Amino acid sequence: MFFDIIEKVVRVTKALKEPRIATKDVTHEKMHHSPIFRGKHEIRYDICTGCEACAKICPVDAIVMEPLPIKRPKALPEVNLGVCIFCGLCEDVCPTKPQKAIKLSGGTFEMITDGKDEAIKEYWVKPEVPEEWIQKKKKEEEEKARKKAEMLAKKKAETEAKKKAEEAKAKEDKPANVENKSEAAEGDTK
Amino acid sequence: MENIKNILNKFDMEYVEDYKPTWVKAKLKNKEDILNVVKALKKEGVKTCSTISPTDFIDENKIEVNYFLEDLFNKRNVWLKVDIPRELENCEIDSITPLMPSADWHELEAYSTFGVKFKGHPNLRYFLISRDYYGKFPFRKDFDWKEHEKNLMQNIAEITEEYFDEYEEYEENVGHDGSRTVLNWGPTHPASGPIRLKVYTNGENVEKIDPDIGYVWRALEHLAERKDFIGTIVAVERICFMDNPNPMICYSQAVEEIAGKEITEFAKYMRVILGETGRIASHLISLGGFFGTMGLQTFSMWCLDIREYFLDVLEDYSGARIATACIEPGGVRYPLNDYKAWFESINKAIKKFEDTKDDITDIFMKNPLMNTRAKGNGVFTLDDVAKYYLAGPIARASGAKIDVRIDEPYAAYDKLEMDYVTCENGDARDRLYIIFKELQQAMDLIKQAMAKIEEGISEGEMDPKKDHLIKMPKRMPAGEAVARVEWARGEMLMHLVTQEKATSPYRLKLKAPSVNHTMVLDKLLKGKTLSDIPLLYGSMHICQGDLDR
Ligand code: SF4
Ligand code: SF4
Repeated sequence: MFFDIIEKVVRVTKALKEPRIATKDVTHEKMHHSPIFRGKHEIRYDICTGCEACAKICPVDAIVMEPLPIKRPKALPEVNLGVCIFCGLCEDVCPTKPQKAIKLSGGTFEMITDGKDEAIKEYWVKPEVPEEWIQKKKKEEEEKARKKAEMLAKKKAETEAKKKAEEAKAKEDKPANVENKSEAAEGDTK
Repeated sequence: MENIKNILNKFDMEYVEDYKPTWVKAKLKNKEDILNVVKALKKEGVKTCSTISPTDFIDENKIEVNYFLEDLFNKRNVWLKVDIPRELENCEIDSITPLMPSADWHELEAYSTFGVKFKGHPNLRYFLISRDYYGKFPFRKDFDWKEHEKNLMQNIAEITEEYFDEYEEYEENVGHDGSRTVLNWGPTHPASGPIRLKVYTNGENVEKIDPDIGYVWRALEHLAERKDFIGTIVAVERICFMDNPNPMICYSQAVEEIAGKEITEFAKYMRVILGETGRIASHLISLGGFFGTMGLQTFSMWCLDIREYFLDVLEDYSGARIATACIEPGGVRYPLNDYKAWFESINKAIKKFEDTKDDITDIFMKNPLMNTRAKGNGVFTLDDVAKYYLAGPIARASGAKIDVRIDEPYAAYDKLEMDYVTCENGDARDRLYIIFKELQQAMDLIKQAMAKIEEGISEGEMDPKKDHLIKMPKRMPAGEAVARVEWARGEMLMHLVTQEKATSPYRLKLKAPSVNHTMVLDKLLKGKTLSDIPLLYGSMHICQGDLDR
């Protein structure tokens, strides 16, 4: 009995000394931080291939492919956070290596909105694509296209030249054939 | 087993075959025979109906009704199928509710969502779905969801209207003289969750309870049909937020069975750890909720505090705390890059619980007020368990030795040491004690599984970075499977049907235990007083997420 009471007193004093975790201000300091926490998306416009795999797998259709004025990537994913359920399937299917073009990471209390209709409509992750990058890509693509066109033209010219050469050769051959034939014919008559 | 097969063979069957060690699968030719078959089976000891799942084969113009009947104590189960016509006028079959009361709400659900009329059901009515779906049968393949959603706002207005009408009707019927009235307990009662119990009272005495459910009906079974096989995990995990990983285990097992794949040993042990962590997270809420509904919130806070540590475990593994989406067909979703750190956080969580355990026992489990109120109150006998199919902890509190983990071992449970955890009396207090006992069992299982994984890694048999997932086929073969797991609140059963080269499930039936536990509330609370409602309701550990789905 006496021992019981002592034990209880000890336990209570011990409990009083425990850190008061419930009073921690979690808006400034996280209670627990997992490095792989599935929070807000990060979208890397520079490695995305625009394959749309993420938009196709998304179980709640939170991803919209926003078209770009360039060919590759021809569109970039944009995520509607008001709809997204943070399942991470989009990250799983993204084919880029070694880094994923779409990735869930981080996420802070700042992701909370005031819950009003307008705020939720604005609640998107959109990759910010700098204008220069697009111009650069465009130029690169133009360059590529030009090179390709040149290549094509060159090839075409080559093939045509080849064709002509062959035709010319065939023409040269023809009379010989005829001669042969006439010879053969002659031979027959003999 | 042989007896059951003999009985089934006496009737006109298309086939009778073995399915898994504990099941017999049979297809009945004539729907007229159903009552006789069920009668004969009941005589043999198969007394319980787990659920009824219709499948709509629109191309063949038929609806196939699947009955899942169980002999809880001898572990012999029957999967009975029968075809019925699809046209609404002829889509009917005899009700088995008079023989097996556990089928009651499951038949109502099948009627409301598929339009299968059950002849002879004591009270066939629309149920679970909201009023705007009445008579339209939303789970039929030809239901037009787009068209239905057009009138959303108007439908909501009508539902509100009807609620007021109902309220006025009660006022008129009951009158203002005397002490009879109809109380709405919930959906905003702090202890209720989104459910409304219409309590017919006379003074303080409860005369009848009529649960109004469907407040969180999300048509998950239909949502699953719209997603691909991997995306479906996010639908099934939303059955209930408390025990998150176990429904995914159940669903993944069904998919793996159809695909004919076997997952790795490592993934099996991981499923044990994740599943048990989910069970702990759920049981801690049940434990705290029991006192919470009695008006003592301190203990709820204690439990939530401990639960945080277990949620940290889930977060460290999957990156999310509640909706983890951590298990998918083929294994578990993420590799375990740093297994030591993860095991460390598990041990930390277990230690947190162990440290608090003595205090919990002293202050709450021996709490005199709780003992006075809960001891001997709301008793369920073993007969009730079989009659209404009370599952999981509720059944075990009455002394029933039922546990899917042992009866039909899945994941790696057959390689771990465990036994049935039971109590004897089956009263509300035992339903609290059983939860506390199971918490300790769950932690023990986690420790065993961790030891096995460590052993496997040190012997080079497991690679936690690569073994987590095997490759699953993109397209499934045609087939169907039944998978069961022991969920935190009892047996969870999933019936999955796929079609040839399918990319998404054709039909996924989810059976969750809270349906039966809510069904018996009327029996449980009749004759009790108003103050017993929160206590006994809390003792059933009901979650509306899995009640409505
Ligand atoms: S996390 Fe899930 S819901 Fe969110 S965008 Fe990715 S796939 Fe869609
Ligand atoms: S983010 Fe990844 S999956 Fe999505 S379009 Fe880009 S490359 Fe494809």
